[in-house]
Amino acid sequence: MAETSASTEIAVRLRPLPTGIERELRTAVLLLLLAVVIVLASRFLGPGFGTLRQIQAILVIASFTMVASFGQQMVILIGGLDLSVGSFVTLGGILAFAWIGPNGWSLVWGIPAVLIVTGAIGALSGVGVAFLRIPPFIMTLAMGIIVYGVVLGVTGGLPRGHASPALGWLFHPNRLGPPPVIYLMILFTIFGTLLQTRTAFGRKVYALGSSPRAAYVAAIPVRGLTVACYAIGAAAGGATGIMVVGYVGGATLMMGQSYLLPSIAAVVVGGTAITGGRGIFLGAVGGAVLLTALSTIISSLGIAEGWRNIIYGVVILIALILLRDGIGLWLRPGRRRAQS
Amino acid sequence: MRLLTKLACSLAALAVATGLALPDAAQAQDKKFKIYLSMSYSGNAWQTETSNLVKALAATPPYDKMVELKTVISGIDPQAQASAYESMISNGADAIISFPISATALNRSIKRGCKKGVLFFMYSGTVTEPCAHNVSYITAGFSQNTAQALVNMLHGKGNILLDRGVPGNSVDKQNYQGAMSVFSKYPNIKILQEYYGMWNDQTTQQETAKALASHPDVDGIWGQNGEGGILKAMLASGQQKLVPVTGENGNFFRLALINPDYVKRGLTGVSSGDPIATSAYAFKLMMEVLTKKRTLTLHNIQYPLPWVTPAQIKVCTGDTFVGGCNVFPAGKVPDSFNTEIFNPTLTPEVSLNSALNGTPTPGATIQPLPAEVTPAPNLPGINCEKCKAPADIYKLTVEQPTVQP
Repeated sequence: MAETSASTEIAVRLRPLPTGIERELRTAVLLLLLAVVIVLASRFLGPGFGTLRQIQAILVIASFTMVASFGQQMVILIGGLDLSVGSFVTLGGILAFAWIGPNGWSLVWGIPAVLIVTGAIGALSGVGVAFLRIPPFIMTLAMGIIVYGVVLGVTGGLPRGHASPALGWLFHPNRLGPPPVIYLMILFTIFGTLLQTRTAFGRKVYALGSSPRAAYVAAIPVRGLTVACYAIGAAAGGATGIMVVGYVGGATLMMGQSYLLPSIAAVVVGGTAITGGRGIFLGAVGGAVLLTALSTIISSLGIAEGWRNIIYGVVILIALILLRDGIGLWLRPGRRRAQS
Repeated sequence: MRLLTKLACSLAALAVATGLALPDAAQAQDKKFKIYLSMSYSGNAWQTETSNLVKALAATPPYDKMVELKTVISGIDPQAQASAYESMISNGADAIISFPISATALNRSIKRGCKKGVLFFMYSGTVTEPCAHNVSYITAGFSQNTAQALVNMLHGKGNILLDRGVPGNSVDKQNYQGAMSVFSKYPNIKILQEYYGMWNDQTTQQETAKALASHPDVDGIWGQNGEGGILKAMLASGQQKLVPVTGENGNFFRLALINPDYVKRGLTGVSSGDPIATSAYAFKLMMEVLTKKRTLTLHNIQYPLPWVTPAQIKVCTGDTFVGGCNVFPAGKVPDSFNTEIFNPTLTPEVSLNSALNGTPTPGATIQPLPAEVTPAPNLPGINCEKCKAPADIYKLTVEQPTVQP
């Protein structure tokens, strides 16, 4: 009896899930498979291609984009866009470099402190969007410029601090195997995906992204939710900054610049609707891994930079076309017949 | 006793300072030189360090009493820097010292300024307008000499990676051609991959990590600014063996070259490249021209190429460069800190604090420069227009081949 009620409870909990989840899971798995296929197919290119070491390198480098794209995705899911990711990566990195020193204990307060500061500033963007009705583009662009300006003014262009060996440890292979950051990313992916698909908070985010009006009518706290998503977005940027400092062992004012476009690309390639309401974090993770795998392999080919960029762009285009809904459905013969 | 020595030193310095300052005092009372420091961008350590050296020297006696220095940062748009020059000229500038964002786009404003008697000194970057003075290491042969050094370390044979700068950039192109002028002579040197490290540690590290993962059979890496990232990628790759790396003047890189553990694992290399002190040298030259101590007609002036082998690396114990030290202990400065601040003959006035904070070295006074300046060869489109580069533009000046192709 107890068993039945438990299973009904699960069934009841599962039912209100957005209908697209299954399709999005499939997109995510397809992306990851595609990345694996590309890496394995590159084996014939040279001795180092397709090796475990190359896969490790790809995952380590993709980890920064993964975390940044989590924040980007939370904002895109509610129909926004975060152009300030780069500035928050820089801010998070510079604070981490300044606050988290050689002493391992400083991690305990340093990491939460960086996340709180970046999250709180990000919440201001949310306030601008939710209460002042400033378009997300403008709000986050302005916030990004302001944050960067403050960082430039305070550091004078020369960030000071100490590298943290404990953060660096995450990115080095050790006796137990691959760099620990890879395990951390697996946990983070599970956490992020569950937060989106299995919690009330996540479902409200999807509802808000699908139809703000309906969400409002359904008594979802639209403004609070918007502020929360922008805060998460900025804190994810801050977390990326902490990671980059661990990897590089230093901070510069340019450190965040290279993460804005990849964070958006990973989210979009990962099957998230740019208009909001649809997409899961596992998809963005798949997008980040695929894009990093592609760029790693293409840049390792001994060809000119111009051609590399052309190949990179064309492969992304093909991947997007292949992963489009129509093709995705086509891959499931049953559904296709039912439709036709 | 130490206190007494210190006191004596400061008194002596004070005497020298006042002695030097006196003849100029009358002039200073009349009018201070109005000097502008025009930067295009201040978002990286290199830009901050170079501008700090200028600020430090402008505050070093006797120039502290003679100079009114204003800094203007105009962003990465050449038009913005051109209009910044224009407003400096109309504000009555006596001289403008600048890191130019473009070699050609600023020419018109510079020409207009020259006609009004404004002195223009460009550091590190160059302009093609002949009335400005370019002070740069750019023609001093960084790329071919480091390439030859790498070939020598590999005994003329091996697989290498090329870490380039920013795609499409003229300096990147010139560095590449210089390096290839050497590598292409050695058929047994095989370039496995080129990648763009964008002259910063972070991108260089990521790109090197990718390249190392695809090419475990690398024997050496030719690097540029951001070379610290090359080493960090190699250390993080988990491989025991390290390979020779050539790079620029980052603090981390120099320290690594004398780290006994790394050396045992095979690391060697040479530290060369863009020196911070170029801005200080340019400022001192400019001041000597302004104060009529020197007449200068030369358009292109070459700053000597820094060249530091592992045997020459020496850690500084304090904040000054005593006893030929040229790198700071880990943690004292950021890893990517450019250590080439000091030159015993050209910039003896500066210390670590000059580069970090723009403050003058206590007790230091401006020392005269050697009378001779080194002319730099022509580089069309980089430091001259309608000119020809000499045929031996990529000749080796510091490193000579020890292996024949």
